[in-house]
Amino acid sequence: MNKAPKIVLLLVGLAILTTLPIFLSPNLVNAVIKMMIAALFALAFTLAMGQAGMLSFGHAAYYGVGAFAALHLMRAVEMKLFFFPTPLIPLAGAAIGFLVGIVFGWLATQRIGVYFAMVTLALAELLFTLAPTWNSVFGGESGISTMRAPSWGLSFGHDIHVYYLTLAWFVISAWCMWAFTKTPLGRLALALRDNEHRARFLGFNTHVARTLIFAISCLFTGVAGALLAIANEATNYTIFSAQASANVVLQTFIGGAGTFFGPALGAATMTFFARVTSDLTRSWLLYQGLIFVLVMLFAPEGLGGIVSLHARKLRAAGLRHLVLPYLLCFVVALLLIAGVVFAVESIHVVMTDAYFAKRIAAKGAWVPYQLFGRSFEPLWPGTWAIPIALLSTGALLLPMARRLTASAWLVAIQESLPVAGAAAEATTRQEATA
Amino acid sequence: MEYIIVSILNGVVHGLLLFMVSAGLTLIFGMMGVLNFAHAWFYMLGAYVGFTLTRLGGFWIGLLLAPIIAGLAGVLVERYLLRRVHHYGHAHELLLTFGLAFIIEEVIKLFYGDALVNYQMPDYMRFAAFTVFETNYPFYRLFMGAVALGMFAILYLLLTRTRVGIIVRAATYRPSTVEALGHNLPLVFMGIFAGGSALAGLAGAVAGAFYPTGPNMAVDFGTLVFVVVVVGGLGSVVGALIASLMIGLFISFSVGLNISIADFLGLFGLGEWATEIGGLFTLQLSTIANSMPFLLMLLVLLMRPAGLMGDRQ
Repeated sequence: MNKAPKIVLLLVGLAILTTLPIFLSPNLVNAVIKMMIAALFALAFTLAMGQAGMLSFGHAAYYGVGAFAALHLMRAVEMKLFFFPTPLIPLAGAAIGFLVGIVFGWLATQRIGVYFAMVTLALAELLFTLAPTWNSVFGGESGISTMRAPSWGLSFGHDIHVYYLTLAWFVISAWCMWAFTKTPLGRLALALRDNEHRARFLGFNTHVARTLIFAISCLFTGVAGALLAIANEATNYTIFSAQASANVVLQTFIGGAGTFFGPALGAATMTFFARVTSDLTRSWLLYQGLIFVLVMLFAPEGLGGIVSLHARKLRAAGLRHLVLPYLLCFVVALLLIAGVVFAVESIHVVMTDAYFAKRIAAKGAWVPYQLFGRSFEPLWPGTWAIPIALLSTGALLLPMARRLTASAWLVAIQESLPVAGAAAEATTRQEATA
Repeated sequence: MEYIIVSILNGVVHGLLLFMVSAGLTLIFGMMGVLNFAHAWFYMLGAYVGFTLTRLGGFWIGLLLAPIIAGLAGVLVERYLLRRVHHYGHAHELLLTFGLAFIIEEVIKLFYGDALVNYQMPDYMRFAAFTVFETNYPFYRLFMGAVALGMFAILYLLLTRTRVGIIVRAATYRPSTVEALGHNLPLVFMGIFAGGSALAGLAGAVAGAFYPTGPNMAVDFGTLVFVVVVVGGLGSVVGALIASLMIGLFISFSVGLNISIADFLGLFGLGEWATEIGGLFTLQLSTIANSMPFLLMLLVLLMRPAGLMGDRQ
């Protein structure tokens, strides 16, 4: 009963992704390519994290080896050693990702929980520190680069070709991963996450199972890495950095590791967010960190968790009670965000060397600074009254918004409960079968 | 001979610095089970506080207040952030501190910019303590070592010889029993977290004046402190000291040694074969010095997960 709308939703999403490049500028096409790659990476990461509860802090290792494998293959094709069709190059990333995943996974899965995270971190750091000195494989500090070879009648010179290649691999991989969660091994992953002892008592070799699940996660991570290599035509050792491993953790948890598509949503959103805000402000990492901590504190299930909560608990009838409270929450959030952004950006401008130079030129006077196309006096109380007013209004309204939302939820859930008539029908049917 | 003595001296001092940074983490991780990812960022916070206060009041005021401010930051983090997510489990706490590391670094960058800041020791401490083979050995290195040793002594005595130490150690083994005996367990945990952060802050204020103080200082230490904690064993201050010294000596010796696996195999007449294969076989030990700690951590995690001095997992 619940299946049809989901399939419609997926088809609509697919249709949008297929037609999207027609409407987008080349720059945005490139952005969507990166979003899809990040989404695939997050999905693959979640296969180990969300399904099997293995928090890997070094998934960049498999992303990186996938990228390097793809680049070496592309270089071999470029040097006419043999022919290999460009669209199938991610297979190399998959193969190497799987192999490295088996070896590293065999080591790492001997430990669980935080210790598992530490082993994966150590392995990734090993690669990160080795890669710049190992010239023949990782090309030293500058890394390796190559060109996409034309094949199957496509030149792959244009981003559009790369876009459809990435889209195809994204859809295939996402479907494979979703199908994997339905296989016996995929179900076993859930058992391993919830109670490994019990799985072992049932006769499963949990170490082998965990290694396999981890390696399959690495396989798809390798595909994502290879797609990145195809899109960028180059990479270097920084792809192994702890920062890269950290990013996927951040994105996955903002998206919600408990749901299947949440991480993809989170990764795509955060990649887009990073792309937009990194052009606008140098403090974008601060905003990203704030978002992450707020999600961890107040929505531990992530964005995907919030969406699925609404889908599970509510029907369309109940939703109308929530419109007004949500509108209020939105206004409060806007006020608070505006206050924080104003304060952060003001501090940022006043603390730059450029502003300092201006002050020296004006003999130490606090000259006005430019922000959002306007001029503000740093020492005039009215300037700082703006963020203070925004923040305090937001803070005053916040408890009210929370109270209203909570009570609206109660009403909405009650209205979404099965109606009395339907319940009675269900009991009669039960009696009939009995 | 000169190489060995200088390597030992530098290795020991570097190891002691590593101990200063990671001693707090081993307490927090060992006693509370919280793997505080942001720990190295408290070290960074301490260095920047030290820098600011040195300009405002003087070096010693900075040294005194940096641990206090870092400790207060620790109190806020424990009370208002970690405690809220405690019931979601340790992985969730790890993730929260991970986001916090971002925030601390970015806020510091917001105020101090992306460049290094000029945090210097006072001039009267800038002299050579002694001369080894015509190289002057800076006094400040010895000072850092002395602070680290003092920290170790105080921590060790505090944990093993005082009533507070008994309660703290008991709280790690049987938290509910300690609570039933009337001790305020949340307060104990808050104290541990604040103390650990304060130690990192002190380390930052001391070391920042000698080593470069900049936005990268926390990232450089970020994963290395985990290595120390894991290798040394959970909650073991002695283990952390041994592990830090080991890693410090390891790094300082391997930096100067230009030997590779191929050279080693050459002893058995396999040198040419190994050189032909290249790759890993011809990597010089000096170039992979930075990988060594992680190799050590990997070996310890796989063979003796409790660490050198740990007694449980």
